[in-house]
Amino acid sequence: MPHAAATSSSAASAAPVVVALVGNPNTGKSTLFTALAGIPTRIGNYPGVTVEEKVGRFRHRDHTIELIDLPGAYSLVPKSPDEEVAVRVLHGEMNGVAKPDVVVVVADATNLVRNLYLASQVIEVGLPTIIALTLTDLAARKGITIDMEQLAARLGCPVVPVVAPARQGIDQLGDAILAAATAAPPPRPDIAPHLAAVDSSYTPPARDAIARYAWIDRLVEGVIVRRPPLPTVSERIDKVLTHRLWGTIIFAATMLAIFSSIFWLAAPLMDLISGAVDAVAGWVEGALPEGAIRSLLVDGVLAGVGGVVVFLPQIALLFLFVAVLEGCGYLARAAYLMDRLLVGVGLSGKSFIPLLSSFACAIPGIMAARTIENRRDRLLTILVAPLMSCSARLPVYLLLTAAFVPNVAVGFGWLRLPAVVLAAMYAVGVVVAAIVALVLSRTIFRGPPQPFVMELPGWRWPQVGVVLERVREAAVSFLKNAGTLIVAVSIVVWALGSYPKVPPPEGPNVTEAEIRGEALRQSFLGRAGHLIEPLVKPLGWDWRIGCAAIASFPAREVVLGTLGVIYNLGDVDPGEEEGATQLIRLLKNATWDGTDRKVFTLPVALSIMVFFALCAQCASTLVIIGKETGSWIWPTVTFVYMTVLAWLGAFATYQIGTMILG
Amino acid sequence: MKLQGASPRDVPPMPSLDSIPVGSSARVTEVTGADATSLRLLEMGLTPGVEVQIVGTAPLGCPVELLVRGYHLSIRRNEAARIAVSA
Repeated sequence: MPHAAATSSSAASAAPVVVALVGNPNTGKSTLFTALAGIPTRIGNYPGVTVEEKVGRFRHRDHTIELIDLPGAYSLVPKSPDEEVAVRVLHGEMNGVAKPDVVVVVADATNLVRNLYLASQVIEVGLPTIIALTLTDLAARKGITIDMEQLAARLGCPVVPVVAPARQGIDQLGDAILAAATAAPPPRPDIAPHLAAVDSSYTPPARDAIARYAWIDRLVEGVIVRRPPLPTVSERIDKVLTHRLWGTIIFAATMLAIFSSIFWLAAPLMDLISGAVDAVAGWVEGALPEGAIRSLLVDGVLAGVGGVVVFLPQIALLFLFVAVLEGCGYLARAAYLMDRLLVGVGLSGKSFIPLLSSFACAIPGIMAARTIENRRDRLLTILVAPLMSCSARLPVYLLLTAAFVPNVAVGFGWLRLPAVVLAAMYAVGVVVAAIVALVLSRTIFRGPPQPFVMELPGWRWPQVGVVLERVREAAVSFLKNAGTLIVAVSIVVWALGSYPKVPPPEGPNVTEAEIRGEALRQSFLGRAGHLIEPLVKPLGWDWRIGCAAIASFPAREVVLGTLGVIYNLGDVDPGEEEGATQLIRLLKNATWDGTDRKVFTLPVALSIMVFFALCAQCASTLVIIGKETGSWIWPTVTFVYMTVLAWLGAFATYQIGTMILG
Repeated sequence: MKLQGASPRDVPPMPSLDSIPVGSSARVTEVTGADATSLRLLEMGLTPGVEVQIVGTAPLGCPVELLVRGYHLSIRRNEAARIAVSA
């Protein structure tokens, strides 16, 4: 049965054989896709929905086979956009997607009965169908033997065992596909006799489900033989990892390790990238005469490109971890362990990893929300993820804390005020995110309870190929889809800060820094700062801070550099100790225009910090939200709600702070 | 639904899956509710007659981990409450 040779004779150069790959989640479908087709030729979204479309092409015995990887599904009675896409593609109702000639159902041999549920529904669609039986090696170790000839005979369709990582059975599957392309579809499962036995008080789909399992239970009698499993290492690992105490401790340690590596492992790589971009900028500055073009290239284009590429290490690292966790079955376990905490605020356990990684950077966090199948939970997670204090906020917190928060002990002797303020900034983001999630889930996202019926897959080794492919996909999709837009935004902000040109101040002692300061103050950006002064005055800010806040729209960390330029410091690197000390001294001496009243006081510094904790000053995050949700509405909503909250938070901080501190 | 016709007082109320202690097993008798969640529970194999073991719970007591039809499934307590069982 699996050895049927290619029979279609003349179709060699004709249209490719279109094959749909369907299966339950966690069946090794991605591994099989990679084994068959290698790197996908097309990755994108299906029209109108945010469900990933993945298509690959490969040659087998002089035939071209186009492989459509359908999203994981448990049933063809759709309950998620993913399952709906699977149904529409199988019926040939998806615009721009050819109706499949053959369907390959990927079925996990360790869990055959439940996998046959979907397979029986696929057979009913009426297309030539093949069962690709995966994880047969794991099944053997669990003491499960499957009589494949019997199974094929009873289902009326070929059953091909595959061990995709070892490429076993891949050729046979290719042969079976070509043979099936010209063969008749298998007979419809005869469920009717079982339907009569089901309690008539169930709904029709529920009766179908019960009858279908009865049909499967009868079908597999004598096909699946279970012997007591040999005690495996995996089971001993399982005992520890699912232990209520040890399991929780190991979980916390794993998450902490992942979180700190995204933070610290990425840092040297990011420095390397910034260094390289600076080197290119330096080269351009040396090669071109001073003027608008050089400024556009260095401060607009290169700054924008640098601002995009610098996120790659964090995205790659996070997706590496997510793919490894997913590959060994721990991702579902993490969602299981954290669910109760997150349900309380209207989220679900699956929001945990995306939110945790958002503490490093919201961009990979929002991209990681792809692992949440439920659309409502996914959107809610994406909307609150930017409230987690990311690493770009840290320099703002650190500099302002060092400059304006007195280093005194509070409460217990060992607790210093700056540390308390820093912790409070992280807490503000978490608390506000919880409140926003709670409010949104009770208002615009209100609906029937979303099921959290989730398989906890067994422990297995992650496949290197699949892991690397996930990392590659994430990096490519970020660069391709977000990169161009982020560069465009950077160029616009550069133009606003550089035009209109004014004659530079003249005099014997005018420094380069003073010229740059004057140019920025007279630019559209500087004027916008004056324009919004009435808006930021209640926050305790002068127009310069307002101006720096606008300039930091592409990225929060820009605010410090902009403050440096605006106060005639020239280009300083607030990350370097010398630059930071200079900037702190300058900020401490800054006064309101025409008075000797200091601008920066403790309440003002706190108000700026709270603003930056809550605001959406990160063009990349907004672009990624637009890309991941497939609509410009959600980035707009995010920007508006976060800016309003940031203003309110900063207002309350300044007003209350002034009341207390006088 | 199984109780239809009989007065609820005549029959002792059937325990639901969320009342079964960790480590023990029970047999599904009925899945109540007519919405998508109940259908998904049936589709995942929790059909009448099937044996279910409560493997454990998350640290805060919810969700619960089940062993059903040879695989591990996690569901929330309120979902487990829809599943009537007999010991």
